[in-house]
Amino acid sequence: MIPTRKHLYLLLFGLICTGLVQAQGTLSFHPCYGKDFLQLTDSGYQSKDKDSITISLFRFYVSGIELWNDGKRVWEEKNYHLINASDTSTFKISLSNIYTINYNKIIFNLGIDSTTNVSGAMGGDLDPMKGMYWAWQSGYINVKLEGTSPLCKTRNNGFEFHLGGYHTPVNALQTIELPLKSSDKIEVFIDLKQLLTNIDLSKTNQLMSPSKEAVELSRKLSKVFEIR
Amino acid sequence: MKKTVVLLIIIGLVVSAYKKIGSYELIVPNNWPKPVYDFNRNPLTSEKILLGRVLFYDPILSKDNTISCSSCHSQFSAFTHIDHPLSHGIDNQIGKRNSPALMNLAWNSSFMWDGAVNHLDMQALAPISNTVEMNETIGHVVEKLQQSPIYPQLFYKAFGDSIITGERLLKSISQFMLTLVSCHSKYDSVQQKKASFTTQEKNGYQLFKKNCSSCHKEPFFTNDQFENNGLQVDTSLKDIGRMMVTQDSANYLQFRVPKLRNIQYSYPYMHDGRFAKLKQVLDHYTNGVVRYKNLSKLLLKTINLTSNEKVDLIAFLYTLSDTAFIFDKRYSYPRDILH
Repeated sequence: MIPTRKHLYLLLFGLICTGLVQAQGTLSFHPCYGKDFLQLTDSGYQSKDKDSITISLFRFYVSGIELWNDGKRVWEEKNYHLINASDTSTFKISLSNIYTINYNKIIFNLGIDSTTNVSGAMGGDLDPMKGMYWAWQSGYINVKLEGTSPLCKTRNNGFEFHLGGYHTPVNALQTIELPLKSSDKIEVFIDLKQLLTNIDLSKTNQLMSPSKEAVELSRKLSKVFEIR
Repeated sequence: MKKTVVLLIIIGLVVSAYKKIGSYELIVPNNWPKPVYDFNRNPLTSEKILLGRVLFYDPILSKDNTISCSSCHSQFSAFTHIDHPLSHGIDNQIGKRNSPALMNLAWNSSFMWDGAVNHLDMQALAPISNTVEMNETIGHVVEKLQQSPIYPQLFYKAFGDSIITGERLLKSISQFMLTLVSCHSKYDSVQQKKASFTTQEKNGYQLFKKNCSSCHKEPFFTNDQFENNGLQVDTSLKDIGRMMVTQDSANYLQFRVPKLRNIQYSYPYMHDGRFAKLKQVLDHYTNGVVRYKNLSKLLLKTINLTSNEKVDLIAFLYTLSDTAFIFDKRYSYPRDILH
């Protein structure tokens, strides 16, 4: 068949549509517990396993998002995003103008870099009123994870992890690299079951300030971010 | 007319050995170094300064609306809390430390006795949330300000819209604090050759330069560092100082070297306010220094002062008093806005 002008218009229309759809790429985070999505209700999340873990709060900062292709950085943004497991509207991050770009790896920070930590008051997701800033000692809290487990011999069996710290040797910032199979939507799953069954909750259950333990737990958390 | 005024101000600045910082009239002596605070990130305007001043004096920052910044930082005492060794806050609770005097804050690289706060903007968060000071959260303060009859208007004037955020709140309080510049003491006049010391003050200044000025460095009378100055540990407080922040035993009992300007007004002295009089402070340095392993290197050599020399030294310290600062109306309670 010889292409007619009509066909060409259709082709052009098709191309534009693809462009428009892909112009705004998305990066989504899915907090999970094992295979289940972690959906925090007022009473928190109750695991279906026998471990009786509940999770009442899970928030973390994502920053410094970069896309890489075969060892070369092809895209980056400088924004800071607070992901809150109790607010699904925070799960999706729009990545602008990535439609012409090929990439096979994503790199981002779990937490807030040290420069931002010492630069004074900031707005948006970095506003201290978001509850992710330590008051008695300056610094962002990169991650808050709170819940209960019968293993914790604490008040109400609670565990509270407020992970942060930007000074060496207690710099808790983690850089996460994930290979991507296709250049479609980027979906990152965070399996808290892997994390919480990998630590001894009877010993480690209260981390509220910068410390070596907080750095170690941040590192462990960074390992349960995955592409499924 | 306007041009003439501007020209006169410029000539005035040149002649009087003072310089201006930024676009706002923050006038400081010519020989002062560049501020640490980055004014480009938070340029001073009179509207934001006013908003910060109102916030500074408003107990709305505390949980039960009883404690304001000025509760522990009153202008007549160079913005500290006099008569109380340890400052008290909400429900008459006593804190662990003596509130520091506030002045020349744009030249601090950190804040608090132990340096726990890394930026002036973040300073206010500490007392707001401390359970024995204001026992509030910044989120709740913002809610209260939104419902207040005065603040939406003040934020509108300062920021062009009435949206109230934590960032705007903190930056406004910074703006007011940044204007608290003390540089009109007799010492400053002497430096500018507009006055001269008495013989006693002059002798005191020599003693000061010999014994004190390595830590209490001019022109701010601090080296902006933390030192262990050999104070006996108060066993009821068990305050380990900067080690709390760094977890490093090298910082055991280290506290910020305080600024000495307006020291006459800002008694009692030391991080826990243990000394009511300057004489006791000098007695500590001549006779009371505990030889800790990490004692400040600058105190390793014993300081010897006769009682007459101590009197002279104190006479010099009194030349650091800045009455213009203590009575400056721009820093006082904004009674036309807060009632």
